[in-house]
Amino acid sequence: MRILVSAGAYALAMAGIILGLSWGQPSNVVGMFLVSGLAVGSLYALGGIGLVVLYRATGVLNFANGAIGALGVMVAWQLVQWGWPGPLTWVLGIGLTTALSLGYGRLIGPGLAWRDPVVKAVATLGFALVVLGMTAFAWEDDVRRFALPTDNVAITILGLRVTVTRLVVVAAVIGIVVVIWAYLGRTRTGLQMRALANDRDLSALIGVPIVRVETVAWGISGVIAGFTGLMFGNLVRLEPTIITFMIIPSIAAAICGRLDNLALVLVGGLSMGVIESMLTLSPELRAVRPIAPFVIAALVLVWIQMGHRSVIGRDQQ
Amino acid sequence: MKTTLKAMFLAGTVLAIPGVVLADTVVCEPGNDGPATGAPIRVGGIFGNAAPGDFSSATRAASAYFACVNASGGIHGRPVEYGVENDQWNPELAAQAAAKLVEDQGVVALVGNASFVEMSVNASYYARNGVMVMASGCAVSECFESSNIVSTNQGPLASSVGAAMYAVEDLGATNIACIGLAIPSVGNWSCGAVESYMEAQGLRASSVLMNPGAPDVNSSLLEAIASGADSILVNLPAGLGIAFLGAAEQQALRDVYTWTSSTPLYDVSVPGALGSYWDGALYVNAELTPLDGEGEHARHWRAVMDDYGRTDDPRDTFSQAGYLSARFFTQLLSTMDPAEIDDRAAVTAAIQGIVGYESDLICGPYYVGVADRHMPNRAGTMVRVSDGGFEVVRECYEYEGPYFEPLIEAERALGLH
Repeated sequence: MRILVSAGAYALAMAGIILGLSWGQPSNVVGMFLVSGLAVGSLYALGGIGLVVLYRATGVLNFANGAIGALGVMVAWQLVQWGWPGPLTWVLGIGLTTALSLGYGRLIGPGLAWRDPVVKAVATLGFALVVLGMTAFAWEDDVRRFALPTDNVAITILGLRVTVTRLVVVAAVIGIVVVIWAYLGRTRTGLQMRALANDRDLSALIGVPIVRVETVAWGISGVIAGFTGLMFGNLVRLEPTIITFMIIPSIAAAICGRLDNLALVLVGGLSMGVIESMLTLSPELRAVRPIAPFVIAALVLVWIQMGHRSVIGRDQQ
Repeated sequence: MKTTLKAMFLAGTVLAIPGVVLADTVVCEPGNDGPATGAPIRVGGIFGNAAPGDFSSATRAASAYFACVNASGGIHGRPVEYGVENDQWNPELAAQAAAKLVEDQGVVALVGNASFVEMSVNASYYARNGVMVMASGCAVSECFESSNIVSTNQGPLASSVGAAMYAVEDLGATNIACIGLAIPSVGNWSCGAVESYMEAQGLRASSVLMNPGAPDVNSSLLEAIASGADSILVNLPAGLGIAFLGAAEQQALRDVYTWTSSTPLYDVSVPGALGSYWDGALYVNAELTPLDGEGEHARHWRAVMDDYGRTDDPRDTFSQAGYLSARFFTQLLSTMDPAEIDDRAAVTAAIQGIVGYESDLICGPYYVGVADRHMPNRAGTMVRVSDGGFEVVRECYEYEGPYFEPLIEAERALGLH
């Protein structure tokens, strides 16, 4: 019942915001901005889901996901320039991000396992800067574009042409949510991940193979980071710094899901994209668009705190 | 510092084997016999290089030119010691770099400066210290509206107005949406001048300003569509411009609007990044004459870069502008009394006295004068993306608009207009 009330309140709030911001605009223009916002929101959600999957199993909020993804897509782009077949470059790009994620998770992660969540997060920030520095060293600032075959096919939704690449992102976000939900609920490793997320000390005492379970989580996170990097490189732009710092709105989306609930991350990410896009229609509020995701995340945090639920540091309660 | 060392190294190499090197390499005026000797003439330069952009090609080109000058006999027989600093887009570092060059190293002038940050921070400092900057990569209003900075490049305002003029006169535009950066004294300044130009023509224009780090270029595209424009002017850094045009390609808008751009998209790597979709449909303003120009200075610039630059130094518009600033500075000092070229006040007065320097790399005469604003380069060329490269569609033409009226008055006073 409480879920229904919350969902109803959310739907009313979103409808009110969209109507308020688009008041007086032709419906076809509003439709285009709505679809555009959903497309950007799906990118935020994709980044946020990658963060939450790892956080649930390891308690690490991985700020390096963006930088790892940026390196992956730059490598894929470079291989394409050398004439390698596209699908192979995508696999190798994702393979590299998975290896980097696993490397951090096995070599550095265990040493920080018993530290505060904030310490763990800051360590990944350092890793992000190292990876970004390596990427900037390898590729000088230049004009580049990472194209995918799916860019050339599009369908029209509410007056806006939406490429298959964008549809792939939306499908992937929903697919990842469903698969991870099923994985956590129906497999032994998923059960162990939930146990770790609930109480790491107790899990260790009852024999949960912590290192193995965390390695799986880091591996899944690396695959998602690689895929996210490829999508950001195509749909945002192929600039390592921009892709690296896409982690910031992604964190805002993750916070909307309380770093826990993947479905809420999806809803939060899409909502942020739509509101950010709709703000363009308001001459007075257009300038505040860049901060919209963070204002929304802050409001969600306030709402959560009103319910006495902590977000970061959940595993220390 | 690295660039200084490179210049000194090159000069040293030439000193060691003058016969061999001078026989095979390009010569730079004034072209005395043998390499330069004696006390160096101290000159500075500041560039910005850090994410999200590298503006070092201007100082790299100036460094290559000064290395060539040193190898060719120097200025009055003396070598130029070119000290270069990177502001890393950091205002504090930019101020430190200027103080280091002006106060610690005692440079007589700065040449080839290129940055978003440095000019905004240091414009008043240069005026207070009576030092002139012959810049090459100005992008903000403070750079052009300052008493002690003069640039060989045009910057986003002049280049955008030039693109808008072409859109109106050759493509029939009546309502332009100018897509600029939401950075104070950049996007609103340059797109605002486009609006003024269009208004003066009895036509309409609007500005769409984007956050540089915004992931969503679609909203800006939709905002431009909603403005009712029939022509879109992309006035963005190359990476963001490519992303914007990619979004337009996704919406199949190539044939719905006419498309122009300011200079950042005039880069050899842009047509490849854009793909064949934009072939023949995107018109770009070039602040200086085409990169493959066959004029004397255009060929000399490429030869200097080949012989004295690094192979990975960009051969782009900023590189042309850096070369040209260094060339004009050398031309000036070689005409001064040798006893005065270490006197900063004398050099500043001489730079302010420059009138009517010419080059095939720019469309009009270069001048400085004593004024509170400088924009000598306000005539350009228009090129079109074609077959993976660019083709010239309009030769040198002078830009019009309310912003340029005080400059035209100044040119009349100098007998140049």
